[in-house]
Amino acid sequence: MHDAQMDYYGTRLATCSSDRSVKIFDVRNGGQILIADLRGHEGPVWQVAWAHPMYGNILASCSYDRKVIIWKEENGTWEKTHEHTGHDSSVNSVCWAPHDYGLILACGSSDGAISLLTYTGEGQWEVKKINNAHTIGCNAVSWAPAVVPGSLIDQPSGQKPNYIKKFASGGCDNLIKLWKEEEDGQWKEEQKLEAHSDWVRDVAWAPSIGLPTSTIASCSQDGRVFIWTCDDTSGNTWSPKLLHKFNDVVWHVSWSITANILAVSGGDNKVTLWKESVDGQWVCISDVNKGQGSVSASVTEGQQNEQ
Amino acid sequence: MKLKEVDRTAMQAWSPAQNHPIYLATGTSAQQLDATFSTSASLEIFELDLSDPSLDMKSCATFSSSHRYHKLIWGPHKMDSKGNASGVLIAGGENGNIILYDPSKIIAGDKEVVIAQNDKHTGPVRALDVNIFQTNLVASGANESEIYIWDLNNFATPMTPGAKTQPPEDISCVAWNRQVQHILASASPSGRATVWDLRKNEPIIKVSDHSNRMHCSGLAWHPDVATQMVLASEDDRLPVVQMWDLRFASSPLRVLENHARGILAIAWSMADPELLLSCGKDAKILCSNPNTGEVLYELPTNTQWCFDIQWCPRNPAVLSAASFDGRISVYSIMGGSADGLRQKQVDKLSSSFGNLDPFGTGQPLPPLQIPQQTAQHNIVLPLKKPPKWTRRPVGASFSFGGKLVTFENGRAQAQQGAEPPHHVFVSQVVTEEEFLQRSDQLQQVLRSQGFVSFCQKKIEASQTEFEKNVWSFLKVNFEDDSRGKYLELLGYRKEDLGKKIAVALSKVDGPNACIKEGKQESEFLPSAGGTFNISISGDIDGLITQALLTGNFESAVDLCLHDNRMADAIILAIAGGQELLAQTQKKYFAKSRSKITRLITAVVMKNWKEIVESCDLKNWREALAAVLTYAKPDEFSTLCDLLGTRLESEGDSLLQTQACLCYICAGNVEKLVACWTKAQDGSSPLSLQDLIEKVVILRKAVQLTQAMDTNTVGVLLAEKMSQYANLLAAQGSIAAALAFLPENTNQPNIAQLRDRLCKAQGQPIPGQESSKTPYDRQQLPKGRPGPVAGHTQMPRVPAQQCYPHGENPPPPGFIMHGNVNPNAATAQLPTSPGHMHTQVPPYPQPQRPQNGWNDPPALNRVSKKKKMPENFMPPVPITSPIMNPLGDPQSQMLPQQPSVPAPLSSQASFPQPHLAGGQTFHGIQQPLGQPGMPPSFSKPNIEGAPGAPIGNTIQHVQSLPTEKITKKPIPDEHLILKTTFEDLIQRCLSSATDPQTKRKLDDASKRLEFLYDKLREQTLSPAIISGLHNIARSIESRNYPEGLTIHTHIVSTSNFSETSAFMPVLKVVLTQANKLGV
Repeated sequence: MHDAQMDYYGTRLATCSSDRSVKIFDVRNGGQILIADLRGHEGPVWQVAWAHPMYGNILASCSYDRKVIIWKEENGTWEKTHEHTGHDSSVNSVCWAPHDYGLILACGSSDGAISLLTYTGEGQWEVKKINNAHTIGCNAVSWAPAVVPGSLIDQPSGQKPNYIKKFASGGCDNLIKLWKEEEDGQWKEEQKLEAHSDWVRDVAWAPSIGLPTSTIASCSQDGRVFIWTCDDTSGNTWSPKLLHKFNDVVWHVSWSITANILAVSGGDNKVTLWKESVDGQWVCISDVNKGQGSVSASVTEGQQNEQ
Repeated sequence: MKLKEVDRTAMQAWSPAQNHPIYLATGTSAQQLDATFSTSASLEIFELDLSDPSLDMKSCATFSSSHRYHKLIWGPHKMDSKGNASGVLIAGGENGNIILYDPSKIIAGDKEVVIAQNDKHTGPVRALDVNIFQTNLVASGANESEIYIWDLNNFATPMTPGAKTQPPEDISCVAWNRQVQHILASASPSGRATVWDLRKNEPIIKVSDHSNRMHCSGLAWHPDVATQMVLASEDDRLPVVQMWDLRFASSPLRVLENHARGILAIAWSMADPELLLSCGKDAKILCSNPNTGEVLYELPTNTQWCFDIQWCPRNPAVLSAASFDGRISVYSIMGGSADGLRQKQVDKLSSSFGNLDPFGTGQPLPPLQIPQQTAQHNIVLPLKKPPKWTRRPVGASFSFGGKLVTFENGRAQAQQGAEPPHHVFVSQVVTEEEFLQRSDQLQQVLRSQGFVSFCQKKIEASQTEFEKNVWSFLKVNFEDDSRGKYLELLGYRKEDLGKKIAVALSKVDGPNACIKEGKQESEFLPSAGGTFNISISGDIDGLITQALLTGNFESAVDLCLHDNRMADAIILAIAGGQELLAQTQKKYFAKSRSKITRLITAVVMKNWKEIVESCDLKNWREALAAVLTYAKPDEFSTLCDLLGTRLESEGDSLLQTQACLCYICAGNVEKLVACWTKAQDGSSPLSLQDLIEKVVILRKAVQLTQAMDTNTVGVLLAEKMSQYANLLAAQGSIAAALAFLPENTNQPNIAQLRDRLCKAQGQPIPGQESSKTPYDRQQLPKGRPGPVAGHTQMPRVPAQQCYPHGENPPPPGFIMHGNVNPNAATAQLPTSPGHMHTQVPPYPQPQRPQNGWNDPPALNRVSKKKKMPENFMPPVPITSPIMNPLGDPQSQMLPQQPSVPAPLSSQASFPQPHLAGGQTFHGIQQPLGQPGMPPSFSKPNIEGAPGAPIGNTIQHVQSLPTEKITKKPIPDEHLILKTTFEDLIQRCLSSATDPQTKRKLDDASKRLEFLYDKLREQTLSPAIISGLHNIARSIESRNYPEGLTIHTHIVSTSNFSETSAFMPVLKVVLTQANKLGV
């Protein structure tokens, strides 16, 4: 298994795996009902991503087979609605843009390119591609939350807010790059964030909680997790803070919805939870070591450790 | 895809994995001459900069050397983990010399870059390898069967691995074993490979296929399997790679025949043992899986042969190949588009060759013909299978409601090809215990309406005076005579005041008593009786008299005022009627300058607005008191508001907070929120809780006392309430979040949150589904196909069970919540074998969910037992099936899965049933061979964090197995261990009396599963196995002390990590057995 994602409501779980399948489970009320077993990929499926429910029940998946497939539930049946074959190598990451922008999917691939699929209606998807975004591969893409410049000022009602679309990507060139859509609709590299000394495995832009600060978490093959913050309005000065240096590859970072907890998934099948303390230091608040079961067994409340 | 190229005819060595940035060292090749036939030599270092899109590699340093090289390696000797030093470059030269270079000095441009040199070898040194365990050890091979082991710390005198092999032959390759540090292999063009044991100082095995056609050009050990290695043959008649296993050294385990002509070099990826590179005289570079023989990738190369090929140790997708056409190329095996790069290359070629005449023939070269190159496949496909390093082993993602979805892949890749089991865990992350607790309390108060006692508790618990005041004010709202009590809170008790006045009057002078609140009416001097004289003289008195006598009150009053006879004036005015009195009051107040005049003014004129608007803010208490005393109900709120607003806008920070009290009096929730937010840091959950408590209580009060409709919620309050609801939701308290979310508001964010909360609860509010969703959502049609009906028939678990935090915050600690049914997916996979691929059923068949694999009652039971976490330990799998096979339809449906019920019984969490069954079952199970695996790794644990975990909770709500679960049987010869240990535990259990011991034993029985796992995987070392058998024997003979001694011996002599999972519990069992004398 390579990914497991809940939908917007936390009632459906999508998983994907090396057996080329994408599965959807209904997990309401603690149950688990397999709703769909989606077949269409011809290689291991790396990631799945749920679109916002305002567009219906839509799931995107990406695979080593170089394809991105967008699945849709119509009349209770899940079907492939679109297949994107614009990449020359494994597609490693898919991420839906904030729903305010419409239905836009960013895909990062080992061919080094990032493609952006925009739904233009009537089953049509427009493709924009950023070639050579990360030499020898893009491993992760993550959208910035939808923030209107000076969002505290009320927008003229009825007028569509003038969003600045941005996303972050991380790749095998050890870099994190920030991309911004120009007024002409072209995507430009806005920033290069350098701190990792090995592949960037994942990037995660923190959800907006109404503060002017932007935050990105990144993790790498080099075992490091950085928290990048940007306070200035122009969005140009990013400063990294080392959250922790792990002894093994860190594969995945995920922000809680309220953006105050970061889940870090590393080698050794370890998941740790981190929270920023009042003085700005990142503290590990939980260290879950599943799958080992060996060394110090479970130290559970009310159960003494027999060892 | 080609990434970089360097025009050199050279041997190459990548910098060690620790090094960052990545360097590639090149040393002029001794065997191949470049196009210029130059005989000069150099050692160069290039940097691999992947952020630079061009094909050029950045040259960092060049060192002009007197040597040409047969072999170049870069060892990590003396590098620390941070890669501060850059290791050592070791070069094999033409005349028996080995030279050590310091790469950091080369990069720095130093002249003296040679660390040491030794020419002890005979002939060219073609073979070099660094021991990966002791990086100071280097093996080298040259002519005359010479092999030396060099210690870089003592380079002068090399060692030999043993006596030279006969007949003397050239050594073409040496390689250290990747698993066992003292094993070395060497190979020669004659085709023989020799494996040396440096401890014994002799060759231990010789490998040869006796074909006489194996001309070894390459030798590599398996990165993971100690006894396996590959040999590559240069001979065109036998262009093969042979895979050998030393345990069966009579013939190759596998032969890879993928090249058409002789193989010149091989390289085995350390990052993925399924990737072996080979390049040959057929001008191909292939990447194959030596474990299967399958070719996974063919690199797009030009038509030239490559004589050297190397994986980059740090970047596992990168490799370099040196070709006879004088070029070192760096490739990625991940495929990709080379369009941009290729064009550059064409341009560069054109420009550099252009019209030049490189060979001095006097004739310019004909125009370059390069159509092929541009037309060639621009898209390079990646490897057929994804390399190991792309497979994410673990991942955790947050989802709505503070749930953390975690998946992990089984720790060991199952050897027999069976997929390791996969589980998805859904955990509840709770970080704000206190917040939840307080929120829960608040909800209880709302339910029980016990506001007064709640406020009282808050008052008692208040840390600050202000907090206390606020709660006191809030409390008053629920009491009778609230205004009077407010006054008391402000420091004005009517009784106290009466006493004070009495005291003041009894003194001669009562100059203070600053505000007397119109209580002075008793102060009339008794006019003594007797006659009085009416004077009509010309002075003021006379004039007044005259005026009075003529009934001209107005003039009389004016005269009195003029003469500063205020009291007279007022008295006269009273007699003169209402109008005159009012006028006189005005004139009086205009004239009077006393401190309290304005108060009196307000009291008399009933102009409280004036006070509130113009009083000194330091006297806000007094102003508020006055308002409380005098204001009419209809203006009361407005006045309190007004005062609050002034405090807020004009006062200093201290006064600003006091505005809250005014707003509480006013019952103005919205302003209270605004003021509080301004004064407090509202971002932390607890401070938000502080606010919400007050707001909620105040709203209740307003509802009770003023009978106003307070359901309408202002923007700010709505925002705060939704923040609060968001926080609750993030902690998993969906129901509570929903309860606190304001109802009558159309704000989109709140509507969206409500929608999300409702849906997250799994029970959309009827009627709201279609009409009130905040999005234009396409709803599913009502008439669903049959299978869906199956879903709706499923009994629903009440929401509380799903979200246990909603009402009752859990005890701290880590609680495994319903491992719902680990075999669920197992159960449904075999029911439709093959169908998944061919016909893609969109839904499971309707009866399937009813097979019990999603049986909610199981979850119920688990939930109720959450205080006994030990019950969630995986059961002993082999003994348990017998407990629960009846009545479980799966066991009949799926005979190949006899142990499916095992996890079910664990679900039920009956404390001990699996222990009773004994081991009679494996007679049945053995032939079936696939005992179900309990989710042994689903037992999570919280450990001490790198920092210190701050009492947080992750709670596993459910665990979803989604892949097939299989397990190997315990080998027959070791079954005795399991039966003995379990039998012993049974005996102990039956004679143990106290529950503590029983629980210990119970637990031990479960933990011994780790041992059985290891037995199944056959990963235990023979020493431990034999020790365990000895223990088993001593158990048989009831000699527990002996067992314990053996135990101690095993623990002290074995690898801790190998035994730590089960040895301690074994000790517990032995000790107990000894104690109980069973």
